[in-house]
Amino acid sequence: MAVVREKGYTHWDGRLAERRFPWLPITRTGIRLAFRKRGFKFVFAGAFLPAFVALGGLYVSERLEDFKALVQSNRALIKIDPNYFKLFLTNQSALFWLVLVLVFAGAGLIAEDLKHNSLQLYFARPLGKKDYIIGKMSVAAFFITVLTALPWLVLIVFKLIFAGSFAFLLAYPWLPLSILGYSALLTMFFGSYVLLMSALSRNTRYVIVLVFGVYYFSGILSETLRHFFPTPYMSLFSIPDNL
Amino acid sequence: MSIEVKDLSFSYGRIVALDGVTLRLGEGAVGLLGPNGAGKSTLLRILLGFLVPQRGEGRVLEYDIRRSQAMIRRSVGYMPESDCFIGGMDAVMFTAYFGELSGMPRQEAMKRAHEVLFYVGLGEARYRLLDTYSAGMKQRLKLAQALVHDPKILFLDEPTSNLDPTGRAEILDLIKDIATNKSIQVILSSHILDDIESVCSSVVILNKGKLAAEGRMDDLRTIRYSLYEIRIKGDEEAFRRELEGRGCKVDETEDRLIKVYMPEGADRMDLFRAAVGAGVQLRSFVKSRTSLEDLFAGAVGVD
Repeated sequence: MAVVREKGYTHWDGRLAERRFPWLPITRTGIRLAFRKRGFKFVFAGAFLPAFVALGGLYVSERLEDFKALVQSNRALIKIDPNYFKLFLTNQSALFWLVLVLVFAGAGLIAEDLKHNSLQLYFARPLGKKDYIIGKMSVAAFFITVLTALPWLVLIVFKLIFAGSFAFLLAYPWLPLSILGYSALLTMFFGSYVLLMSALSRNTRYVIVLVFGVYYFSGILSETLRHFFPTPYMSLFSIPDNL
Repeated sequence: MSIEVKDLSFSYGRIVALDGVTLRLGEGAVGLLGPNGAGKSTLLRILLGFLVPQRGEGRVLEYDIRRSQAMIRRSVGYMPESDCFIGGMDAVMFTAYFGELSGMPRQEAMKRAHEVLFYVGLGEARYRLLDTYSAGMKQRLKLAQALVHDPKILFLDEPTSNLDPTGRAEILDLIKDIATNKSIQVILSSHILDDIESVCSSVVILNKGKLAAEGRMDDLRTIRYSLYEIRIKGDEEAFRRELEGRGCKVDETEDRLIKVYMPEGADRMDLFRAAVGAGVQLRSFVKSRTSLEDLFAGAVGVD
């Protein structure tokens, strides 16, 4: 144990402020802590892979002349329309990366506080339960928004740059809004989902198993039920299908 | 008065935790004593605004405990009993984080975190991960996070639990320094009577949710009874009977030291009269200082 060497306690002459968003330090610290986790940066970078593939597709579609040797007919190599965005945004690999990032960044959000008894430290500050929940949820919301809304809005900009005109945006003016809407839906769902799972256990590893388990088990359950009851309504049991 | 409560009552279902407690606490260090289930933690939680009392009222630093909980928490520091930290953080980040949550600007919180960590003796370990800290270091860390926003009142819940004798002495040394030199009022809840005796000038003793005793330690010692330590030669049993007949309480230690608790207002010459009456010789006669243990035993009715 360190020896007490200094007795230099001085009073702080500043003034404690009443914050407009008292939960903001919780969010900021949660994001910082996620990036401190081993391997998280690689997973986070990996989650942008679908967006990079989509960017490659955009480039190829606009620079068809350069890639003519690859094309046998006069058909467009890749058709860029809202379905192109939908394909990349909603496919299972993109959602898998999203869940993986959330497992790293979100599984311990409440579980770690329960494990280390730190809730009492939070609530000994001028914070309410609402502030705590919003602060933690915003950590998940940050990562979901960065992985869903941000790259796809940037891709629209790239599309306009590659095309050299606003024709695409004029043809589909609702596309940015629909991307934002879908991102908001994912944020609401995954934010609540990860936070709920995180509050169920003090052990982060159990939470990780729960997050993955419930997500994929719902898909397996849906497939199994569909086998016995061949109706599309069975997809309602599957989280991935519903997203 | 920095803390004032009146007729405070709180129950967990049918279990009464606090029953009509009325208190006024002024400056200096105050010890909160009581056996398990006496209501100490409930009182602390109510003062911190974690629980709302079912009856009664109170003020902490002029803030109402029912209506201004956020203001109370901004002005007080709390060091909980159990180990608590956040995994993956170092001490600077942890302390600054809780400073920020108290309302400090970010840069100020960071600067202040360094100062406070040096003060509690964690200066050289401040960039180490908290997961690697020893029990003693975690206690100091809890003290640092409670001090970071420069509170006016510091609530300490069993601050020396799980510490070795050296660590305990160092933490007590810090608390004593805070209470006496830094003009921060300290409310110390502890089971260890020696800790309270060495740090606090006043004590509040709770028993079964009720106030059993309250006041300055010196006053409590003198008001209730005077303690004399006596050695005699002769019939100890007869001497005991003589003393008890004169309203005194008598205890005998293993090394045959007789402790005589004389009631308030009794004449100490009665001791000599009792010795004459029992036909024993007094070999040693010392007026002793009443220990907190004696006070505690008297207040909660245990031997």
